[in-house]
Amino acid sequence: MNVAFARRPAVLTVEADDAFVTLDGVTKVFGNGKRSTTALENVSLELNQGEFVCILGASGCGKSTLLSLIAGLDKVTSGTIHIADGRPAVMFQEPALLPWLTVRRNVELPMRIHGTDTDARNQRVNHLLSMVGLIDFADHRPHQLSGGMRQRCALARALAQESELLLMDEPFAALDALTRDQLHDDLNRIWQETGKTIIFVTHNVREAVRLGDRVVLMTPRPGRVAQMWDVEITRPRELDSFEVSGLAHEITMRLRAGAVSNGAE
Amino acid sequence: MERNRFQRILSAAWPRFLAVGILLGIWQLLVVIGVQSPGQEPLPGPGDAIGEIGYLAHIGVLFPALFQTLERAAVGYVLALVLGTLVGLAVVRVPVLRAGIGSLLAGLQSLPSVVWVPIAAVFLAIGGQVEYAVYFVVIMGAFPSIAMGLMSAYDNVPPLTFSLARSMGARGPGYYRHFIFSAALPGYVAGMKQGWAFSWRSLMAAELIIGSTANAGLGQILDNGRSLTDLPEILAAMLMILIVGIAVNDVIFAPMERGLLRRRGLVPA
Repeated sequence: MNVAFARRPAVLTVEADDAFVTLDGVTKVFGNGKRSTTALENVSLELNQGEFVCILGASGCGKSTLLSLIAGLDKVTSGTIHIADGRPAVMFQEPALLPWLTVRRNVELPMRIHGTDTDARNQRVNHLLSMVGLIDFADHRPHQLSGGMRQRCALARALAQESELLLMDEPFAALDALTRDQLHDDLNRIWQETGKTIIFVTHNVREAVRLGDRVVLMTPRPGRVAQMWDVEITRPRELDSFEVSGLAHEITMRLRAGAVSNGAE
Repeated sequence: MERNRFQRILSAAWPRFLAVGILLGIWQLLVVIGVQSPGQEPLPGPGDAIGEIGYLAHIGVLFPALFQTLERAAVGYVLALVLGTLVGLAVVRVPVLRAGIGSLLAGLQSLPSVVWVPIAAVFLAIGGQVEYAVYFVVIMGAFPSIAMGLMSAYDNVPPLTFSLARSMGARGPGYYRHFIFSAALPGYVAGMKQGWAFSWRSLMAAELIIGSTANAGLGQILDNGRSLTDLPEILAAMLMILIVGIAVNDVIFAPMERGLLRRRGLVPA
């Protein structure tokens, strides 16, 4: 069953019963006949509750497709996806804030949709806004915020959904290096505070090593899992620490080899 | 505070006064240099037209006509708004309707509203139901652009908004209320604004041609001026029609649109 685990160097074996998220032989084909493209081929992956997994790959390797399948925004061609806890919360590369709502109203939107009562809602929104450092900007509108603040707001909104699983699709890719570094620290802290299970998609090797418990490398055309690494570096991690750089280098080498051999085993 | 507010209104208003002043100036200039029709008829000046407005007000014709017209405009517009919105929603929601009605609406929108007048006059106005005929022309003139506005507003909702709504598990009324309607609102308001322009034009076409001695509106004053070959009356009526058009836009639609866009950061605050 765990074909994709074959090359995984680490020991961590997971019983199917314990897995929080299980992807089994997930394949996604776009189009049909001669003009079809296989975006994902036989991707199998298991996540424990509370785990932070980074899915790493060059653009076009199907990592965003994989995320939207897990999010339920698209349907698999074959294979199964099982999530132990309802609908996952999603954070996109763009903040996707609703420009007509204030920061507060954006964050409380998932709770409004699901009919949370006002007191509980206000309390929770205040808590989340403090957590992401936006409490003083609660009444601002998205266009009045910087790029980093918009993503903080989007993070608070994703957390407001009260889902145990958080899917993040290159959320910091459009930010400058300093802001991104700050957001890495914040995300690391928030993950430790909330104990969410996170699937974080990125093309940035160091970002993946800095944040993840596990890095899953994908290779393109068709997208499949090439290799996995368990990241056993103590948190909080520094982007340019020796350990992070070392592992990032190793993964980069594998990524290049994969690009040359086009992901073939 | 009061003074600030007064100053703000003044600073917003002066470019408009300037534009009107330039227009009247050019008009007066044409009169001064002695522009005449091929039939040697001299052009009345802005003073004549404004004097005629005063006269029409004095003899008690102007304000009843103005209110009659405004009432027709308001009722007709609201009906067109309701119909346009319903049709727009149906087209957006049902793919089959989009294919069929979509192009039909574009055709209706380009149809000059006077085209509706004869059928309204013959089919509806006979037997004294002038009001039905007038409303019919206004509705047919205005609803296509409102429906089209709603359609293009919906089409311009960013795809990410749909993904976001689905990822949050929004469905049914909440999906429309929190995401789609709100996202489409500026486009819808732009359609409403255009719909108003169309309904005002249609109303003038209807009043001018269908005519009614009992409940005369501004269009009938215009027609009356033509019948009596009274140029100042014609110009007075034209001026009033222009003023109402500008006033409705400036008082209702422009602030609505500006507020909407400013809240979304689409115009400088």
